[in-house]
Amino acid sequence: MESRRHTLRHDLVIHVVLGFLAIVTFFPFVFLLISSFRPTVDFMHTFWGLPTAPEWANYRDAWTVISPYMLNSLIVSGVSMIGVLAIASVSAFVFARFRFPGREVLFMAILALLMIPSILTLIPAFLLVKDLNLINTYWALILPYIAGGQVFAIFILRSFIASLPEELFEASRLDGASTFQMFRHIALPLSKPMLITVAIMNVLATWNDYIWPLVTIPSQKLWTISLGIVSFGSQYGGLERWGPMFAGYVIASVPLIVLFTLTMRYFIAGLTSGAIKA
Amino acid sequence: MSATLSTPSSGQPAVARPLTARVARYRTAYLWLIPTFALLLVFNYYPALSALYHSLFQWNGANIKLFVGVNHFVDLWHDPLWWESFTHLIILTVALVAINLTFPLGAAAMIFHLWNLRAAYFYRVLLVVPMVVPGLVILMIWMFIYSPNIGLLNQSLALLGLENLQRFWLGDFKLALYAIIFVGFPWVAGIGTLIYLAGFQAIPSELMDSAVIDGASTWQRLAFVELPMVLSQIKLVVILTVITAFQNFTIVLVMTNGGPGTKTLVPGLHLYKAAMAYNRMGYACAIGTVLFFLTLVLTYLNHRYLRSSVEFTGS
Repeated sequence: MESRRHTLRHDLVIHVVLGFLAIVTFFPFVFLLISSFRPTVDFMHTFWGLPTAPEWANYRDAWTVISPYMLNSLIVSGVSMIGVLAIASVSAFVFARFRFPGREVLFMAILALLMIPSILTLIPAFLLVKDLNLINTYWALILPYIAGGQVFAIFILRSFIASLPEELFEASRLDGASTFQMFRHIALPLSKPMLITVAIMNVLATWNDYIWPLVTIPSQKLWTISLGIVSFGSQYGGLERWGPMFAGYVIASVPLIVLFTLTMRYFIAGLTSGAIKA
Repeated sequence: MSATLSTPSSGQPAVARPLTARVARYRTAYLWLIPTFALLLVFNYYPALSALYHSLFQWNGANIKLFVGVNHFVDLWHDPLWWESFTHLIILTVALVAINLTFPLGAAAMIFHLWNLRAAYFYRVLLVVPMVVPGLVILMIWMFIYSPNIGLLNQSLALLGLENLQRFWLGDFKLALYAIIFVGFPWVAGIGTLIYLAGFQAIPSELMDSAVIDGASTWQRLAFVELPMVLSQIKLVVILTVITAFQNFTIVLVMTNGGPGTKTLVPGLHLYKAAMAYNRMGYACAIGTVLFFLTLVLTYLNHRYLRSSVEFTGS
C-alpha cells in the first residue's frame, strides 16, 4: 500500500502531462464519433452538446456511398498482403538459410531499393502500368504493392529467420525433410509474430495510399477507400451535410481497428522488438 | 568403432558434398528468388532507371521523346515555382524534424520513466490506436478542424470569446503553410514515439543502476545516460522524417492543392502537376531525380554526422 502511494507520487506529474496529451490527441476523434450521430440541422445549434437524438440515417446514407470503396480496398489490400507474405517469406528464407554465390550482392540490390523514393518512380511506373493496359484494374494496384511491399518485409523477415537456431533445421534435415518442408514446417510457424507484424504494416500502407490509386484508377467504380473518403468529404462537405460525412469516416475506420484489435498483441511486440532499429 | 566412423553421415559439412549436390542446392536458391526479382525488375528497378534516363528528354510519355541533355535541370534552376516550393519544403522539413525531436521523444521518455508498468503499457497502447485510423480520415478531420464556418478551431475560439482570432486557416496566404505543419498536433501518437520507446527499453539496466548509485538525478540520467543511448533511434526518426517530408505530398494535395495561390506548393506536388496536368513527363522526372539525390545526400549526412557516441546495437 505504501509502495503504491509512493509510485503514484513519483508518477503524478507524468500522468498529468501524458493525460493532457492523450486528451488533446483523442478529442477530435471523440468529437467526430459523437457528431456522426448528429442530425444535420443540429450542427449550428448544438455544436458542442450531445445530439438531440441519434440520427441513424447518417450511417445508412454513408454506408450506401462508402461500402463499394471498402470492398475494393478489402480486395486490393487483402490480395497484396497475401502476395507480400508469400513472396517475401520465401525470399527471406533463402537469404537467411542458404549459402550461394551472389547472395550478398542480391541482398544489397534489394536493400538499395529502400533508398529509392517513391516520388522518383511515380511517373515512369504510372506510364508503365498504362503501357501494360492495367489502368482501371485491381492489378494496377496489387502488382506494384506486392513488388514494393516485399522489400521491407524481406528485410525484417530475413533477420528474424536468420536468428532461429540452426539445430532445428539440422534435426529436420537428418529426418529427411526437404528444403520446402523446412520452410513450411519450421521457418513459417516460428515466424508467425513477425509475419503478422509485416501483414499489418502492409495493410496499413496500402489501405492509406492515395496518390497511386489516384493516378491509376480513374474509374470511380474501382476506387479504393482513400479516394472514396476524399470525394465523399468534398461532396457532402460542399452540401454542409456533416452528419453522413462523419458517419462515413467512422465506417471507413472500422476494418483497420478490427484488424488491429485482433492482432494488437503481436503488432506492438513486433514493433517494439529489435526488428526495427537503426 | 571403425564401423561407426565409416558410416556415411548426412551431417557432413557442405564442402564435402559432391559438386552436383551443391549446384542443385544453388539452383533452388535462385529459383526461389525469381518471383521477388521479377516483380522488382518490372515495378521498381525499371521505373527508377527510366526516371533518371528520361530526365534528359523532353517527353510526353507517348510519341514525343527528344533528347535535351541537362536542359530540364537548367530550367529547374530558373523556375521560380521550384524555388518557392523548395523553400516551403525546407520550412516543413525543419519544423517536422524539430517536432519529432521533442513531442514524441518527450512522450516516450515519460512513459519510460513511469514506475507503474501497467500504466506505461496503457499509454503505449493508447498512442498506437490513432495509427490505425486511415490517414485520409485524419486529414479530413483536420480539414474540418480548420473549416472556416463550422470548424472545430473557429468554434473553439468563439466559445472562448476570441472571434477576432478566427481565420480561414487553409485559405490564408500567411498561415496556410503553418496550418499544414500543425496537422497532427500534439504529434505524440505515431511510429516516432514507438521507436524511441523501443530504444529506451533496450538500455541495459546495469547502466541505469550505476547512474542511480552514482547519485544522478532524474534529469542528469536523462541527459547523460538515456539520451546518448537512444541516439541511434533519434537518427532513425530524423531520417524517416526527412524522407517522408521530401516525398509525401498527399497532405497538401488533399488539403490545399498547393494554395492559396502557390503558398503551400511543395516539390512533390510541383512534379505531380508537371506530369499529370501539363504532360511534361521529362521535366517531372528531372524534379524526381533532384529530390532523389537530395534525399541521398541528407541520408548520408545524417549517417555521417549524427554519430552515436556508443555504437552497441550491433545492427
